[in-house]
Amino acid sequence: MNKRIYLSLGLLSASLIAFQLSLMQLISAVQWNHFAYMVISIALLGFGASGTLLAFTRKWFERHAEVALYLLMTLTGVAMSGIILFSSTLFGKFDTYLIFADFLNVKYLFLSYFSFFIPFFLGALAIGLIYTQYVSRIGTMYFADLLGSGLGGIFLLGLLWVFYPVQLPAVVAILPIVAGIFIIPKQWFKKLIIPSLLLLFLPVYLIIFPSQLPVSEFKGVSGALNMPESEIYMERKSPYGHIQVIEAPSFRNAPGLSLSFTGDIPVGDIIYSNGDWFGPLTNRAQNDEAHFLDYTTHNLAYIISEPTNVLVLDGRTGLHADHALWSGAEKVTIVEENKKALNLLNNELAFKVDSLFSDAKLRSVGLHSRSFLLADSSHYDLIVLPPIESFGGSSGVNALEEQYLLTVDAMNDTWNHLSDKGMIEVTSWMDYPVRNPLKILATLVETLEQNKCMEIEQHLVSIRSWGTITFVLKKTPFSSDEVSRIRSFCEQMYFDLVLLLGITSSERSAFNHLEDSSFFSYVDQIVSPERDAFYKNYDFNIRPATDNKPYFSQFLKLDRLSKLRNLFGQEAVPFLEIGYFITLLTFIQIALIAFILIIFPLFFTKWKGKGKVYTLLYFSGIGIGFMFVEIIFIQQFILYFGNPVTAASAVLSGLLISSGMGSLMSSRLKNNSRTILIILSLVIFFILFYAFILTPVLRVSISLPFLVKILFSILLISPVAFFMGMPFPIGLKHLDGHNNSLIPWAWGINGCFSVISTVLATIIAVEAGFLWVMLLASVAYGLALVASIFR
Amino acid sequence: MRYLYILLAIFIFPWSIHAQNYEQEREKMVTKQILKRGVRDVRTLDAMRKVERHLFVPPRYMRMAYDDSPLSIGYGQTISQPYIVAYMTEIIEPKPSDKVLEIGTGSGYQAAVLAEIIDKVYTIEIVSELAKTASDRLQNLGYDNVKVISGDGYNGFEEEAPFDAIVVTAASEHIPPSLIKQLKEGGKMIIPVGSPFLVQTLMLIEKKDGKISTSSLMPVKFVPFTRGQNQ
Repeated sequence: MNKRIYLSLGLLSASLIAFQLSLMQLISAVQWNHFAYMVISIALLGFGASGTLLAFTRKWFERHAEVALYLLMTLTGVAMSGIILFSSTLFGKFDTYLIFADFLNVKYLFLSYFSFFIPFFLGALAIGLIYTQYVSRIGTMYFADLLGSGLGGIFLLGLLWVFYPVQLPAVVAILPIVAGIFIIPKQWFKKLIIPSLLLLFLPVYLIIFPSQLPVSEFKGVSGALNMPESEIYMERKSPYGHIQVIEAPSFRNAPGLSLSFTGDIPVGDIIYSNGDWFGPLTNRAQNDEAHFLDYTTHNLAYIISEPTNVLVLDGRTGLHADHALWSGAEKVTIVEENKKALNLLNNELAFKVDSLFSDAKLRSVGLHSRSFLLADSSHYDLIVLPPIESFGGSSGVNALEEQYLLTVDAMNDTWNHLSDKGMIEVTSWMDYPVRNPLKILATLVETLEQNKCMEIEQHLVSIRSWGTITFVLKKTPFSSDEVSRIRSFCEQMYFDLVLLLGITSSERSAFNHLEDSSFFSYVDQIVSPERDAFYKNYDFNIRPATDNKPYFSQFLKLDRLSKLRNLFGQEAVPFLEIGYFITLLTFIQIALIAFILIIFPLFFTKWKGKGKVYTLLYFSGIGIGFMFVEIIFIQQFILYFGNPVTAASAVLSGLLISSGMGSLMSSRLKNNSRTILIILSLVIFFILFYAFILTPVLRVSISLPFLVKILFSILLISPVAFFMGMPFPIGLKHLDGHNNSLIPWAWGINGCFSVISTVLATIIAVEAGFLWVMLLASVAYGLALVASIFR
Repeated sequence: MRYLYILLAIFIFPWSIHAQNYEQEREKMVTKQILKRGVRDVRTLDAMRKVERHLFVPPRYMRMAYDDSPLSIGYGQTISQPYIVAYMTEIIEPKPSDKVLEIGTGSGYQAAVLAEIIDKVYTIEIVSELAKTASDRLQNLGYDNVKVISGDGYNGFEEEAPFDAIVVTAASEHIPPSLIKQLKEGGKMIIPVGSPFLVQTLMLIEKKDGKISTSSLMPVKFVPFTRGQNQ
């Protein structure tokens, strides 16, 4: 039992982290990623709740520890399998997209909270019980826990290549059942081994015959499938998302098309990733016909000049790359981080796009666009940024998605890749209230100023159709010929000028009238040197995003909420920025539940006051600090590795395994105040050090080969992670020597604050930036340090 | 015999109260949601008073039929907020002699409102299940002047073109060239544009002297999470 418990603990921890990640993948695919975030965050409070239950029932659990551990692990596996069966009924009845519109859905929301909570609660109860039972060996136990968690993340990453999202939870559910088998008490072995082995059939059955979870009718993929004769004809699994290719004979993709276009829009197939729009598969324009993008504001750059070397960032299915080639470019580079999709377009789907990706003039790169910019050294005549807020994207929903391509720092990097007469093109949908066009304009204007181009109108033009607005920034001033070509293009296409040298006010609304013409005044204010005052006065946050706060689509100013409510009505406010709103809502719910689970039970305990304050401050401090650091590391490494999946796996495994080693080492250290003070001081020192040096170090080393980067990142993370793994086992050991009835409570606090801090880190990053999250992480460890001094 | 009357009364009474309530709710909807927001066209207001909106929503939403919001009708579509229906109707200035094309039948509610004013309404729905339900519903309610076509509205309805007005109730990321072609000189088209996850804008497209112009009219702000201001 003694040695097997480590293995069981490791397996259980691996299963819990893999289960969490698989649920994220699954719920995002069938419902909505913010819903997944909210439900799973609340479900993770199962860790906190397990601590509270243990605190009240510790004696009973200790008396029946052996059998209880077996049962809890087995039940965790059963619950993981059962939840998927239950979800198929649950998601058939409600839709998260309707939660704000139809309150009938709220009861199902609570039902889903509760159902997803159960496996985490049971699993955490088992871990908490192990910690209370084996506190004398806590260093090794915590090592097994962290090692299991680290490997669990990597394990799931591998599973994503083999299984569809709907099969993942069942695969993961095998682990805790096996963990339970390892620790069947000797006296019960003969009776329990057969039922335990039989139980494995449940997840295996669900892998072979997965429950069909209904996809929300509001997901893009459902809309496409509602069209006549539409069908999915190809599906592929990968960590980049579940790819579905749909034949949709009624689907035509021509965003923002000019009203003067009279031709036919090609009908094509569509790629969806996790149920969301990825891009169209259209045949390439033939020489004798026009490319429909010629009839959109996107064409502005090709009206200004004839770029020969074009870079298309976040190029998806290659529409804009095709347009560049059609417009005469001799060399086109397309960058797209979804390698699986690129691979399909290069091979199995090549015939759908007339072998665009095999064109000798086209080079495709599978990398995050910003990482490409940091590592590449070429210069381009035109750099095409991805359209902002096309039908495939959405401002409100993606409010908290880091968009490293739309920060001022990114724009400066883009600028550095321009040839002498190079241009940057970016197109946005006109939204209401106006946010996206203003923020991208502000970003471009600040980029120009930072590159010593103070006469903005000489370097920046903008035109507007009925629905889209395009900006072209040019390194050299526009010539009078170029200006007149732009004017005649607008005349032909029914487009209006927004920014142009010598523009008249009537040219701004010649064809497309805006109900609220103050938009033009906003544009002028941003172009003027007084833009800072405008940033402050405008009701939305349109100050350019930076690498420190890379949330381009985050516009909500919390202090303007009541004004917005008056302007747009109570019901409309959540829809102005649903992503951030959901995060705030999640935080409020978690904080409330955490209070109920941690603080409130204190009033009913018979524990003496001694050690309570220490336990609360110490374990909440290290819980918050650890998660803040983990989240910021993941954010920083997304840019470094060029995709979030690799970043999350590298950081999680590096951080957790190194922390595990630290925990192991802690068992050899003397458990006294001096030791903990030194360890916490080292952690604080490292965090502060990383807060300032991590970004420049990563920037310098970004062009290293991939494997070297992996090694380098693990080396970079290890020192701080090693010391971050020590405070938890040392703290528990301290409690064991003084007031061991507080151990379950400490476990609960750590669990709750780890969840709270995940959401809190996002809110702080949005409001103040990454640097502040790191600084506050050191403050949190400082809190633990103070608690240790006065313990 | 007396008992029979009592029994009858028991069955009829709740129903009549409900029927009366719906009428009251409709009047309230017109006064509080539509008139208050500035819709003044008498024909439109009368039509909104007349069309029984609760018969166009799924049974589970009947009691919410006259609320100031859109409601889900399945297939990722919604029945528009009453005010939006009234606004879109008023803006095309419908006259009885007009010929109007609607793209995106949905529940059939917008078509029914138009049919109260106009002699001939053509409406096209791409989701065949919705087209069938709306067609049956409109027929049962006696709207013989509405022709529901199950198919792709992208190409309009060439046989009956040109139209005095085209009402597009499904948000589009481009305005189909064929619809502009099928619009009469002096005709009006109204269409919601923008991203489905954003607040959309209602756009008026006018064809005058061979030229086309657009005006963004108002944000459609109560359209969360739908592919469009559909009905």
